[in-house]
Amino acid sequence: MRGIPSGSGLWYNMGVDLLTVSVPARESAGEPYTLVEVAGEADVTNSDDLRRLLEAEIAQQPRTLIIDLSGLRFMDSSALHALLLVNRVMDRQGGVLALVSPQTAVARMLHLTTADRLIPVFQSVAEAAVG
Amino acid sequence: MSYGYTTDLAAIRAVVHRYAVRAGLSEPRAIDLVLAVSEVAANTVRHAQSPGSLNIWYDSNEIVCQIHDDGVITDPMAGRRRPAADAMGGHGLWIVYEVCDQVDMHSDETGTTIRLHMKLPGAQRRA
Repeated sequence: MRGIPSGSGLWYNMGVDLLTVSVPARESAGEPYTLVEVAGEADVTNSDDLRRLLEAEIAQQPRTLIIDLSGLRFMDSSALHALLLVNRVMDRQGGVLALVSPQTAVARMLHLTTADRLIPVFQSVAEAAVG
Repeated sequence: MSYGYTTDLAAIRAVVHRYAVRAGLSEPRAIDLVLAVSEVAANTVRHAQSPGSLNIWYDSNEIVCQIHDDGVITDPMAGRRRPAADAMGGHGLWIVYEVCDQVDMHSDETGTTIRLHMKLPGAQRRA
């Protein structure tokens, strides 16, 4: 895994382009939420990296963490567990996790496991930001 | 066709999706089969010591994906109980049983073979 600065955010590339994670916005005085974009395919081969990156973001105690899944083609149960763990920690910290625009296979995983009843899912970042 | 794999699960998923569509599965069911195969193959990545193998075949009634590796499943009820929604494990095999029409599992000290069956649209009902 390597982190590459890109514009105002950070960009990570894991497992030969299989999964990319970028952080276009971090909650601060000028930013109302932290936004993480996850793209590619998340599975057992990169879910530990995904979890560590997300943990690094929630360690900064954002009140609202929005994960944009619109570029994620696939997610297996180990990647789902990373999201569930993040949701649990955000909850404990008094913050909120929101997911945005899951593609068909990702939405199917969220539905099968009923994770979509634990974590709110929105159609757009703007909707998620309103809550 | 037989495919060996180690950690290249994205390639396995692409192969399964291609065969599922060619066999005549609808897109949502093809996605379910991809999910199931990926979960089984993920267990190979977690537990097996050597590469796994995937075999796919289909006829007019069903498509079957057979995954074999040298891992051993000791719990005959593995995947048969629904985990809590916020559980941090145990969803993988449960999803496999949930989305497939039939799952055959054989595991002994030499390894584990799992067959995932999906009925095709218009399949003849078996006696």
